[in-house]
Amino acid sequence: MTQMRAKMRRRSSSDCLSRLISNNPALAMVTLRHEQRPKVTMAKAGLFDISLDKQSLLLRLLILALICVIAFSTRLFSVLRYESVIHEFDPYFNFRSTKYLVNEGFYNFLNWFDEGAWYPLGRIVGGTVYPGLMVTAGAVYWFLHALHFTVQIRNVCVLLAPFFASLTAMATYGFTKEVHDSPSAGLVAAAMIAIVPGYISRSVAGSYDNEGIAIFALIFTFYTWVKSVKTGSLFWSTLCSLAYFYMVAAWGGYIFIINLIPLHVLLLLVTGRYSAKVYVAYTTLYSLGTILAMQIRFVNFQAVQTSEHMLALGTFGLLQIYVFVNWVRSQISGEQFRSVVRAAAIFAVGILGFGFMIGQATGYIAPWTGRFYAFLDPTYAKDNIPIIASVSEHQPTTWASFFFDLHLLVFLFPAGLYFCFKKLTDHNLFAVLYGVSSVYFAGVMVRLMLVLAPIACVLGAIAVSETLKTYSKYIRPRPFSERSKAGGKAEEELPLGREIGYVMIAGATMLLVLYVFHCTWVTSEAYSSPSIVLAAKQPDGSRLIFDDFREAYWWLNMNTKPDARVMSWWDYGYQLAAMANRTILVDNNTWNNSHIAEVGTAFASNETVAIDIMRRMDVDYVLVIFGGLTGYASDDINKFLWMVRIGGSTHPNIKEADYYTRGEFRVDAGGSPVMLNTLMYKLCYYRFGQVYTERNRPSGFDRVRNVEIGNKDFELQYLDEAFTSQHWIVRIFKVKKPENRSA
Amino acid sequence: IINMESLIQLGEIPFKYVRPPHVRAKVPQIPTLSTMTIFGLVFASYFLVMSGLIYDIIVEPPSIGSARDEVTGQIKPQAILKYRINGQFIIEGLSAGMMFSIGGGGIILLNQGSAKNLTPQNRYILIVTGVLLIGMAYSMSIVFIRMKIPGYGLA
Repeated sequence: MTQMRAKMRRRSSSDCLSRLISNNPALAMVTLRHEQRPKVTMAKAGLFDISLDKQSLLLRLLILALICVIAFSTRLFSVLRYESVIHEFDPYFNFRSTKYLVNEGFYNFLNWFDEGAWYPLGRIVGGTVYPGLMVTAGAVYWFLHALHFTVQIRNVCVLLAPFFASLTAMATYGFTKEVHDSPSAGLVAAAMIAIVPGYISRSVAGSYDNEGIAIFALIFTFYTWVKSVKTGSLFWSTLCSLAYFYMVAAWGGYIFIINLIPLHVLLLLVTGRYSAKVYVAYTTLYSLGTILAMQIRFVNFQAVQTSEHMLALGTFGLLQIYVFVNWVRSQISGEQFRSVVRAAAIFAVGILGFGFMIGQATGYIAPWTGRFYAFLDPTYAKDNIPIIASVSEHQPTTWASFFFDLHLLVFLFPAGLYFCFKKLTDHNLFAVLYGVSSVYFAGVMVRLMLVLAPIACVLGAIAVSETLKTYSKYIRPRPFSERSKAGGKAEEELPLGREIGYVMIAGATMLLVLYVFHCTWVTSEAYSSPSIVLAAKQPDGSRLIFDDFREAYWWLNMNTKPDARVMSWWDYGYQLAAMANRTILVDNNTWNNSHIAEVGTAFASNETVAIDIMRRMDVDYVLVIFGGLTGYASDDINKFLWMVRIGGSTHPNIKEADYYTRGEFRVDAGGSPVMLNTLMYKLCYYRFGQVYTERNRPSGFDRVRNVEIGNKDFELQYLDEAFTSQHWIVRIFKVKKPENRSA
Repeated sequence: IINMESLIQLGEIPFKYVRPPHVRAKVPQIPTLSTMTIFGLVFASYFLVMSGLIYDIIVEPPSIGSARDEVTGQIKPQAILKYRINGQFIIEGLSAGMMFSIGGGGIILLNQGSAKNLTPQNRYILIVTGVLLIGMAYSMSIVFIRMKIPGYGLA
């Protein structure tokens, strides 16, 4: 009996079916129709009467939808804690430009000349801005209004970045799926990038900045590039150039793309992986992409003239030459070919080199601009361009910043590289190249951690996915046909195979859960503060809110004449222009170093010299930020040395050494007399000498520098105090007009 | 007459008076590296960049810090710069970079441990070592980061 059963089990289902049909001809009709239907995995699973394929597709869609929701909601901490307000400094300019775009129209925005900034020079906004962000927000705004959802433009701007973060997660899913040929790695990558702190820091709700949409454009461009190299189709290459156009419109970081893709092509050529698909992909991308990039006024002819774009041009030429040489080789005989090649190569190299040298010498091919040259030589900015060196985001990265922004991914990144190297394909090579170059650039500048975060998620996801795939083989229930095979399988030799599999999966789960906890903690504590509103925890646990900035800007808006001009350090320019709506001298665009140096000189000199500069530039009000009463550390006294350095770069009589005593920068009685008489010192500490800030401390105790100030009782000769905010953080002074009668 | 033959004859003139040396000049071959060698180089550069090498080069921090012991009053070395994540000492950076690389190496060992044709003993050694390395690297990194950020945790 058991023998019979064993025999029956071994027969396949189609055998049974054919015997049934031969025994019963009526069934034949039904089964014939069944056989003609297309083959689908008809395995029923569990409660749901749908096939495994459809189940996995549904599961994938559900997971992606959840990832979208998570990516959006984790960025909403500051909106829930404070209100829907624009953060930081740069987003205020973007917000003001978007308001202008929405109110005046697209062509007026492109032709906008702003007289309210950089008085008396003005700023050509249409030609010095990347319009992608404003146009995207404007498009969303107009679309919603067309559906009669009358959303305020401020809310559109605040919530644009989280929305694009969800889209970035989708694009990362697609990118990883193409690079590694597995959708499960794509899901892990999408989940990781939804919460990775390196990306959240620049895309939190309220951070209305170029990076919010640029990272989406970056990943999408890379996804279409990998697809076009894989398929060699003109459709994907054109889509890639359109995505590249969006990236150029969005952010100055497009330089990274236009250097990484040619590097990838060169690497494919060098390692012998060249194919016609690469030719189609790159030629289309370069031609269409460059023409599209030149449509952005800010880029214009830089796309073919500056050194940053020369690698792309060179690779384009090299690719054409390579293909041409191969074609010639296929047409003529061997010896003819060799002599032709020798002559042509010498000729071509000579002409090209000569042309390039002429271009460099005449300046037609512009050399690397300071901002990008600092990537090749990181010490350049520190020695030569103080403005670039002073921005805290441009400092090199420490290990703690890496771990803080990436957590688990710092361990998974090299493992992901290892898995890519093990099975090297054209697309893996691109991921490797992207990863290695972005690690180096993130090491040079903290701000570029943003570019490292996506590829760290991709490679980390590859590592997690491969490890889990390997160890879940141990616990997968073995299929029917394999149980009968004699034990040749590696998994069966290991007695504790199942336990090891369980331990691995549990360990991976625990690490990923720790990653989630870390990311949420970092988002909540570190990256969700709108710098416009400060908060401090009081001893009894409640929070004290400092809203001094908005108070002061609103005072300026309400109490000064509309064409008043305000002088402040360049950090606050954008916020002043957007919220106080007054003309300013210098702002965060920092395009004119000597104008900023004038302001720096005015702050770093005594009142007599400074009033000269201020009257020459028609200044009506001066605004300073002072943290000594509250302990707010990013105030103008802490930034003062940068004013000295930048002012000293154009005015030789401002020497940094004059402001130190014995190598130390002090504001107490031991401070240098030059320092204690500067305009900045006097404006910040005016009337501060009579204020008691802490118990058991003398009056005029600065809570940031932790010293009692040196110069206490003084009067201002040429300025009047106009406004001091509630916690003395923002102080505004009015410049007196010249006397009616000269003394 | 300037044509190919006369040019060749013109070019041959010096060689009637000078005898060229009997040397075979070969185009130098660039040695091709295997994939895993390149991976090793990439891994080493990852270790260096993660240790904050570029920060060390530009900012030039001291290689180790010092703190005064509260009890004895002696000066003891302090490896980790406290309370700031945008500053580091050189040794601190290198040890953290080491932790990251060891963690990555642990995952690679785990993958090696699932290869075919391994004796059970080798398999156990690879897997257990891999798990230990990952655990150690992660715990040490958390210890380091707790020293820099006082409030770090699930709070």
